[in-house]
Amino acid sequence: MYRSFILAALLLLVGCGRAQSPTTEVVVSAAISISEAMQQVAFDFEEATGLRVALNIGGSDTLATQLIAGASVDLFVSADLQQMTRVEVDGGILTASKVNLLSNQLVLVTHGDNPREFSGIGDLAESNIRLVAMGDPDAVPAGVYARQFLQVSGLWNAVRDKVVPTRNVRAVLAAVEAGNVDAGFVYRTDVSLVENMKIAVAIPVGKGPEIRYVAAAMANAPNESGARQLLDFLRSEGAMHIFEDYGFIALNGEVR
Amino acid sequence: MNPELLSVVVFSIGMATISTILMLPPGIALAWLLARGSFPGRTVVETLVSLPLVLPPVATGLILLRLFGRRGFIGEWLDRFGIDLVFTWKAVILAMVVMGLPLLVRAARNGFEQVDSRYEQIAATLGASPMRVFFTISLPLAGRGVVAGSVLGFSRALGEFGATVMIAGMLPGTRTLSTSIYAYTQTGQDSQATVLLVAAATVAFAAVYISNRLSTTSV
Repeated sequence: MYRSFILAALLLLVGCGRAQSPTTEVVVSAAISISEAMQQVAFDFEEATGLRVALNIGGSDTLATQLIAGASVDLFVSADLQQMTRVEVDGGILTASKVNLLSNQLVLVTHGDNPREFSGIGDLAESNIRLVAMGDPDAVPAGVYARQFLQVSGLWNAVRDKVVPTRNVRAVLAAVEAGNVDAGFVYRTDVSLVENMKIAVAIPVGKGPEIRYVAAAMANAPNESGARQLLDFLRSEGAMHIFEDYGFIALNGEVR
Repeated sequence: MNPELLSVVVFSIGMATISTILMLPPGIALAWLLARGSFPGRTVVETLVSLPLVLPPVATGLILLRLFGRRGFIGEWLDRFGIDLVFTWKAVILAMVVMGLPLLVRAARNGFEQVDSRYEQIAATLGASPMRVFFTISLPLAGRGVVAGSVLGFSRALGEFGATVMIAGMLPGTRTLSTSIYAYTQTGQDSQATVLLVAAATVAFAAVYISNRLSTTSV
């Protein structure tokens, strides 16, 4: 008991360490899919400005829910526009600060040991393709994008009964890796997360659905100037190089 | 284990320990009330306490977020004193306490129910105050149930994910074993996740083992 109290006291001190003055800390809520690249960019930003970045990662839908409940955040980087719009409609963001930051490419992957060569996305309609994993086509952004693409390609009716919906992209990779499905839809940046994954078909960027990572400063940001500085830094050439190293496509434009 | 992973393990065990200590006073009071008291609305209280056991943890987290967020009913009030819970270690503790309490109350209540109420009555007729009866008769006799409940509450707190991820987020200062394992698997750092998994499994095994030993061995 005595020991646990000491531990408790120590942890209280550690915990208090995060309560920095708002002018030196920038709190960023960022989609989990860009968390690794963001960590690297944040490190460079800290070096350049002396400000400290506290990165809160999570699914974009969770992050948006937190923001709507009034969580103290300076900058929001969402993996899709829909979640950003949820926060915007609620009056949560500084609309003028909203920018299209990055894009990604939808790809169809198969297991590296699978000898099958795809001649095109139309192969999914063939009878020897039994199961195709994708994020839940009604909810998970990657799945929604995949469904939209298949609908536009006129393949959705042939593929719909083969779809294995998953909670996130990571589960698609797991299903393909385990060999339980013949193929799966993921983002190009996810392919390297798992060994032995092969890109069967890459959906051409112009033909696929428009995938966007959107960033904006928060309306009630405790550190608005820090948020704006970081937002500018995210769009800088140096940061874009880092994102591109991870396979993202730099957009760096205003939201139309 | 690298320092980053070690700090996550230490942080989680520490937070779960503090949460368990904080759970004890209300937990024991509730357990005793439910075991001994007959008061109007008893079933309502009983149901409310058990609710976090049956609700999806994410839903519990959402309720907490709606209550304690700056725009929430309680959060708004706390904000006036400059207290912001969300995204801090305090939010981790809040989630752990809410999720662990039902298990503590259940086990402790069983403990109190097994105490022969005649002992309490005899002590009372000998002139002991209700407080004294509670601390010298009821609580020691129900001790095993209370300890087993604390261990269960601790284990639940340690494994808590859904509510934590909602209200505490995944910031450097709020990452627990569960949320770190999730973050590492999501970003493809499986070896890191495995190390934490082994740590979590070891602590959980030890806790549940102790709890089982305490509830099966006779006095």
